[in-house]
Amino acid sequence: MARNTIIPSQVVIEQRKRVGIQLETVTNVSGTDFPGNYPDEDHAWDVIKFAENFKVEFHTLAPWDASFSLIGLDASVANAFRRILIAEIPSLAIEWCFVNNNTSIIQDEVLAARLGLVPFTGNRVGLLDFLKWYKKPAEGEEKVEGTDYNTVVLDLQIECTHNKDAARNERDPLKKYNNAHVYARDIKFIPFGRQAEHFSGENAIRPTNPDILLAKLRPGQVIDIQMHAIKGVGSDHAKFSPVATASYRLLPTIDILRPILGQDAVKFKKCFPAGVIGLETVTKKEAAQKGSGYEGHEGEKKAVVFDAMKDTVSRECLRHEEFNKKGEEKVKLGRVRDHFIFSVESVGQWNSDEMFLESIRHLRTKCESLKADLADLKMKGT
Amino acid sequence: MAPNKSTEEPVAAPASSQEDETMEEDVALQEADAANPAIYNLGDSRIQLLPGGDEFNTSFEFQKEDHTLGNALRYIIMKNPEVDFCGYSIPHPSEALMNIRIQTFPPYTAQEALNKGFEDLIALCDVVADTFTTERNAFAANQESQMQT
Amino acid sequence: MSRETYEAPNTGSGSRAPALGRGNAESALGGEGPATQYKCGDCNAQMKLKRGDPIRCLDCGHRVLYKERTKRMVQFEAR
Repeated sequence: MARNTIIPSQVVIEQRKRVGIQLETVTNVSGTDFPGNYPDEDHAWDVIKFAENFKVEFHTLAPWDASFSLIGLDASVANAFRRILIAEIPSLAIEWCFVNNNTSIIQDEVLAARLGLVPFTGNRVGLLDFLKWYKKPAEGEEKVEGTDYNTVVLDLQIECTHNKDAARNERDPLKKYNNAHVYARDIKFIPFGRQAEHFSGENAIRPTNPDILLAKLRPGQVIDIQMHAIKGVGSDHAKFSPVATASYRLLPTIDILRPILGQDAVKFKKCFPAGVIGLETVTKKEAAQKGSGYEGHEGEKKAVVFDAMKDTVSRECLRHEEFNKKGEEKVKLGRVRDHFIFSVESVGQWNSDEMFLESIRHLRTKCESLKADLADLKMKGT
Repeated sequence: MAPNKSTEEPVAAPASSQEDETMEEDVALQEADAANPAIYNLGDSRIQLLPGGDEFNTSFEFQKEDHTLGNALRYIIMKNPEVDFCGYSIPHPSEALMNIRIQTFPPYTAQEALNKGFEDLIALCDVVADTFTTERNAFAANQESQMQT
Repeated sequence: MSRETYEAPNTGSGSRAPALGRGNAESALGGEGPATQYKCGDCNAQMKLKRGDPIRCLDCGHRVLYKERTKRMVQFEAR
């Protein structure tokens, strides 16, 4: 029996992957690459086929900001990576504030909540390998004392005073007083135990963004807070999330179905962000071609798609009659369902690319451990 | 004038583990890792069978899982030609439970399908990680050479 | 001493603010009793007032006085 023998052509495959975007609606949204969906086509999972088709393209790679495309993946898997990046990769954040003194106008609990959200950075190996988990006691249990490998102690001691050197009629509080503003850089790291081995000098634990404003003071006001930072995950509290943003979008496509010429081309270009549409001159050869739509238009401007990836898919062009007249549509917008343009912005403790690899590893570990659990289930013979 | 600083003894820093014996420390480290939600395999099984159904039509209950694994696993199990139906649900948003329903064509069992789902997802992760690493290294090398010229 | 053994201020033992001490009615009537530290809301001067004293700054006569913040450490969760 000739089962699963039909191999669809590349054109058909591309067409199936295309999500249609109309003025008010979207079409062809769900994937159909499942066994049984198309008679006699083979859509069973096959790693080798997947490995052949799967592609990664990098767009930017900086320590704290990476952008890349994953091509040939299903949305469910891409989304799993995204969700893991946001909610399940551990990072260090302040969890307890011990307020010895705070005479500023910002209330203790509000200040504590603000301190918790300050992102920290430091020696990468130390943060990721040396620092371990602090096991939080269950409700009602005694709190366990932290140790050098699971707790980071930070200190904020600041007092506002008059600046003796300031001009008499000075009105700027930053010049009139010392420490009128409390910034994240005023938080000092206090290493203890073996922490100094990993976090000293350049590698000290410090706020990623030193200029975060924490509080404002006036002369005589004091803040004296000791803080304990531990590792946690974003699903517990957003302050533990290691990413500023981790998101993906689908690659936009723009197909010009009929020539867009002259003033229309200029208008068409304006419908898109800069760099998406370009203008080219109709050549003699094109004008000579019968049925191309260019006849008699030699030397005129025509609209050409330069870089569809830059498009934000605002659908502005579809609002204009000249491009979207019923039955004479000149343009077709779409997105590629299996082309994910990821953007991962780290908040300081991980390199963005390493963090994405960690999210893959994380999904893998999840599967491994659950697979073992399933084997146990079988043994028990439930 | 500001009030005086606390007259109480300043709060002690957490105990240093430097003096701990190595053995104790290893145990402590292991316990610390057990607290890591990323490491699950220490402890009780997180999969249970839900009542009803038979070995070809089974509902599994996953503890402490959500859409992250649910949807990815559903996709990969649906890619299995021996599977008739696969779907997942989160019965209640305030309970950390995720259910997966698998219906297969006998004699292939639902547990086999779930096991294959895990294996396939692991294989997928490996391919993605490998390709990603290769491309990342190539891009980084290219970036560096451009910086130099 | 570690912060883990910290007690919430309202359950505190020992030095409780004495101003409300009904049991000391006898001595309070005579203007006795322990004094409490206040700070003037205008000139920031420190003063000790007892039960029955006029609520007024001894230096500038301002009528708004503040109690000082507790000198105990107060613990908060940063969330």
